Amino acid sequence: MGKWLGLGVIALLLILGVAGVGAYNSLVSLDQAVLSQWGQVENVYQRRMDLVPNLVATVKGAASFEKETLTQVIEARAKASQTTLTADRELFEDPAAFQQFQQAQQNLSNALSRLLVTVERYPELRATENFRELQAQLEGTENRIAVERMRFNEAAQAFNTRRNSFPTVLFASFFGGRFTEKAYFQAQQGADVAPKVQF
Amino acid sequence: MRSLKPWAGLAVLLACLGALAAAFQPPPAPTRWVTDTVGFLSEPTRRSLDARLQRYEQDTGRQVLVWIGSTPGEVPLEEWAVRTFEAWGIGRKGRDDGAAVFVFAQARRLRIEVGYGLEPVVPDAIASRIIEEEALPRLRAGEPDAAVSATVDSLLRTLGGESSPPPGAGTEVHPRPELTLGQMLLYGVLALVVLVFVITHPRLAFYLLLQLLSSGGGRRHGGGSGGTFRGGGGRSGGGGASGSW
Repeated sequence: MGKWLGLGVIALLLILGVAGVGAYNSLVSLDQAVLSQWGQVENVYQRRMDLVPNLVATVKGAASFEKETLTQVIEARAKASQTTLTADRELFEDPAAFQQFQQAQQNLSNALSRLLVTVERYPELRATENFRELQAQLEGTENRIAVERMRFNEAAQAFNTRRNSFPTVLFASFFGGRFTEKAYFQAQQGADVAPKVQF
Repeated sequence: MRSLKPWAGLAVLLACLGALAAAFQPPPAPTRWVTDTVGFLSEPTRRSLDARLQRYEQDTGRQVLVWIGSTPGEVPLEEWAVRTFEAWGIGRKGRDDGAAVFVFAQARRLRIEVGYGLEPVVPDAIASRIIEEEALPRLRAGEPDAAVSATVDSLLRTLGGESSPPPGAGTEVHPRPELTLGQMLLYGVLALVVLVFVITHPRLAFYLLLQLLSSGGGRRHGGGSGGTFRGGGGRSGGGGASGSW
């Protein structure tokens, strides 16, 4: 009787051990996928920040361009570049930091789209080769940001789903902070509404 | 009770994300390099472009596709393009060296989508210029054949690496290199071995020949005039440009 019980316990421990190793390994690989996708997200945001000085310089050349709109873009860029100094993991595992990052980038988006709307009033600036090229680059970058955000959400969703499903959820908490849930990008309120400009 | 709330929120969010991902179904992967589902192009143009892009893949390994439909539906054109690109796997896996021209005849929009690996070769500004200068004027003038041909032409010139002068040039015959004496000897011995084998084991030789033919036909990929397009698993990250006419 005691022998069978002992064997049963050993078998149970073995099964648990194998399941635990499997759960751990799958979480590690999903976690790495999230991390590398986050790298892509940061890349495209950085790409946009690199475009800003060029854009500002081009627009500045146009006579009597609104100083205020430009200043807002420059300030928003400075704020956005500060948030990227935070370590990667902290950003997407700490909801508050993530929120802050997203907010800073959103402010830059808003400032940039205000700038582009203002430029509508300067046909001679819009006609220049330089500006048209910058605009194409900026549009492409915004599109890339949307794509990488979408892929980040998919990677984060894959991780979170696995992490919170049974039986992985039993092991996940066992490793403490190693497998925290990942944050998601959310569509911004008013992001789909073009900014209004008073003439 | 309070600890339940974030879980409920997460569940709703997951459901939304799932619904969002499930809502979009890319069209079935094409089997040709140029696919026209709405009769936008004339048949000779479609065929010559198709042959040209097929040859381009043979030469450079890069997959360049043209796909013409009526409308992207409810999804934004850019999202349609990037999801479809990924679903079809245009370009080689890891290199992501594919590109696609998506034209929507009814929506009067088009997009050049560039794989990750080709982004340095075809930056957005160049893609945008191809659309503005090659495609849109001709589309507005009601010349779909010329518009798509010029777009592909300009895209391939930007990408580079095309070997033979493209349209209508027919298949170029590469001169065969002269055989050296050693090679002739080797082939002679091989032929002799095969001949002996066929005479001594005619049934086995016939069987092997059949096997070789069928596997060769099945494995043929992108080669010859009968080849079909097969995506290599490449992805794009939203690079390229769009335009409407």
